[in-house]
Amino acid sequence: MAAAWPLCAALLSLAFRSSGAASSTRHLSVELNPGSPAPHAGGDLLHVRALGDEDTLHFLFCSQGAPTLLVVHTGVTSSYVSVDWQRFLSRNASGSLRVEPVSSIVSSTALVFSRLLEYNDVNNTADMPYELFPPYQLRNITWSAMELSGAAARLCGAVAQGSVCLHLSVFDGEGRDEMWPRLLHTANSSQVAVRLNGLLPRSRRSRFLLELHSVGGVYPLNAVGVRRSIDDEFTPSIFKVSEWTSGANESSCDGCGFVLWKQVAYRHSPPALEDASPCRHTEPRRQSAGALAEAGGLALAFFATEGDEPNGVFGLNISFGVAGEPFYDATKFLSWTALVGVGPPPSDTFSPLVAAIMAVGLGAPLVILLMGGVYVCLRKRSASSASGYEPIN
Amino acid sequence: MADIEEDRPLLAAEAGDEDSLSGGEESGRVGRPLPAICDPAHVLHRVVVLVFMCFLGFGSYFCYDNPASLQTEVLQDLNLNTAKFMQLYAWYSWPNVILCFFGGFLIDRVFGIRLGTIIFSLFVCIGQLIFATGALVNRFWLMEIGRFIFGIGGESLAVAQNTYAVNWFKGKELNLVFGLQLSMARLGSTVNMNIMGWVYSKVTLLIGAPGHTTLGCSFMIAAVTCIFSLICALVLAFLDKRAEKILQKEQGKTGEVIQLTDVKDFPLPLWIIFIICVSYYVAIFPFIGLGQVFFIEKFDFSPAEARAVNSIVYIISAPASPVLGFLVDKTGRNVIWVMCAVCTTLASHMMLAFTFWTPWIGMSLLGLSYSLLACALWPMVAFVVPEHQLGTAYGFMQSVQNLGLALIAMAAGAILDTKGYLFLQVFFCSCICIALVAVVMLYFVDYLRGGDLNRSAAARAKLLKEATSEAE
Repeated sequence: MAAAWPLCAALLSLAFRSSGAASSTRHLSVELNPGSPAPHAGGDLLHVRALGDEDTLHFLFCSQGAPTLLVVHTGVTSSYVSVDWQRFLSRNASGSLRVEPVSSIVSSTALVFSRLLEYNDVNNTADMPYELFPPYQLRNITWSAMELSGAAARLCGAVAQGSVCLHLSVFDGEGRDEMWPRLLHTANSSQVAVRLNGLLPRSRRSRFLLELHSVGGVYPLNAVGVRRSIDDEFTPSIFKVSEWTSGANESSCDGCGFVLWKQVAYRHSPPALEDASPCRHTEPRRQSAGALAEAGGLALAFFATEGDEPNGVFGLNISFGVAGEPFYDATKFLSWTALVGVGPPPSDTFSPLVAAIMAVGLGAPLVILLMGGVYVCLRKRSASSASGYEPIN
Repeated sequence: MADIEEDRPLLAAEAGDEDSLSGGEESGRVGRPLPAICDPAHVLHRVVVLVFMCFLGFGSYFCYDNPASLQTEVLQDLNLNTAKFMQLYAWYSWPNVILCFFGGFLIDRVFGIRLGTIIFSLFVCIGQLIFATGALVNRFWLMEIGRFIFGIGGESLAVAQNTYAVNWFKGKELNLVFGLQLSMARLGSTVNMNIMGWVYSKVTLLIGAPGHTTLGCSFMIAAVTCIFSLICALVLAFLDKRAEKILQKEQGKTGEVIQLTDVKDFPLPLWIIFIICVSYYVAIFPFIGLGQVFFIEKFDFSPAEARAVNSIVYIISAPASPVLGFLVDKTGRNVIWVMCAVCTTLASHMMLAFTFWTPWIGMSLLGLSYSLLACALWPMVAFVVPEHQLGTAYGFMQSVQNLGLALIAMAAGAILDTKGYLFLQVFFCSCICIALVAVVMLYFVDYLRGGDLNRSAAARAKLLKEATSEAE
């Protein structure tokens, strides 16, 4: 019997391994501007190294150029990041950031927050018109220095008398944030929240869109699947989860990257049910060759080798609000949260509380039925046996 | 709200037998003959009275579910959370926790049926007007006061309506009249659910933009139905007074006797019936109150579609109630029927909670089981308490039901705000499970006591026959 436990554990861990990305817990180490000789203007580079049992994840978050989150999955525990700072700071130097040894890289995915779009929703239909206001190019914004707290970082930039802030959190194990949408995260994922705070809209009926680019290596993120989930316990009233994955290659790519979000943005902080505003997305579209060079910064530095553009750049828009919803002007706040990681995207399951309530609820009537039945039978039997003795008496 | 009319008829019909003084067809006739339509003793005149009687309750049923029919709009325009929204339903129930005992008393001893009906209609009217004004000026506390006053009138008005029916139709077409009144009640709810969205959109066009003003105007328009019902009350009072003079009959009475000390004599099965009643209905009405947004969010329904599916419970109940009532009457075995109804409700709630199957299935099942439960549960009270305690028993049942509704409405809003729809549905399921436990217990308790609740209709008839022959 005692021998069965290790066996079970081994089987379990084997099953877990084969399901894709590796560890359930990781050891995190955080480093700002790794290997940089001195602090410098123009944007920070955050490196969070998440060391698992047999692999390493490198989360790189950078405000050089458009804010970018790069997740590199390596199959060894000894991989490291090397930056050629001189070339990296010149912004257009490709190949200035490398994860070594290159051969150990399983997958790499970058998510670029490229533009913030705004349009005047005259008829309150939330359909994106052809004419938008001039977009805010996030690469042209001066970003504040990164504020670190543990394995979390905050990056803010001033836009239209307000601020656009990105909150990144990297995790060493499974769990959920305290704040909605309370996405389930694992040690293989990081969470990015985008907050549009106090922006001065250019019309009273303005709505916003966020343009995202993904840059992938061999397996670019080319499809968004929408999964319906009956479980809205952690994100009340939201039943849809969007998963941006390398859809077509799913079977061949276990350790590939993903971006996951629930289709909701919140108009207040802290969020409440009445502040939930649905968000929609466009289908990812392959971007032209110049897209990456335009974005510049981290993605360019990692993906492009000299004189060579990667071809796996896809872009999509997340639009906030649907027809009839309040406009941005109403609260002047929006927050949207996504999970960026590798391996199969985590999915919600019933919480133990829900399962327990249902089990007790359905079990109790059955138990009472059974007990009552037995009791009635016994009484009947004793009654009949009593009556059976009567003649003798 | 909607169950009152299922139990009152029974009570009023039985109790009314004693003080029947309808004067007879011919005896009261005076002097010159009247044309048939004006002759209180003629069936044609009674049909006219019936029309007013049916529309007497229309306004209150129409306005009761106003918040549910415009749930998205109320939440958005007044910037409410769900917990606050559900307060509108809780405030309706609070006065009735106490008033259930006194509705009959007020009609019989204080106001009389005619004045009582007018006063209750006035309460409904004024309540709805205050409610609408609250929305108009964006003061939520004013809306709550409005719902409270509306609640004072609403339930008692249903009692008054039934008293009128007994007074005019006893010994004639009484059951048919009760059936028609019930259908009118359902019609009021259904029309409200399906028309308020349209009204709101038209008002939006008129005013220019949605907002609390638009909402207030829509509720004002809804208040027209209450004023209409008030007019019906006035006309009925006039016709009743006139009939009283011509036929020399006495003013109608509910005949209800409420003796609160009877409560300590209530047998165990009655208490179990109370538990079933409370735990079942709290999983129905608050759910319908929150239904619209649920269908929009979870099943991607359009608002109009969501309102339609939300009203299907009432639509099904209108034709199903008489049929199922007949079925229960013919077969007996009430406990088994109640058990079926509770199980079906549990199944439909679970369907809505755990699957993405179209809610048309779940809600239709809910409508059927809700009607079945009403037909099988309420008459059981008459089997377990002696006739002179019936009034107290029904009053108590409604009182605890309203208490449950008020509390659970508030709880449901809070649960939705913090835990979401899945959890809310699980909560409703657990309420139904409590009802199920209670039904199973009722079955055994009744079995061990050799009670009458689960006898077949044939056995009951046989017993009755034996009892009468013994008496002879």
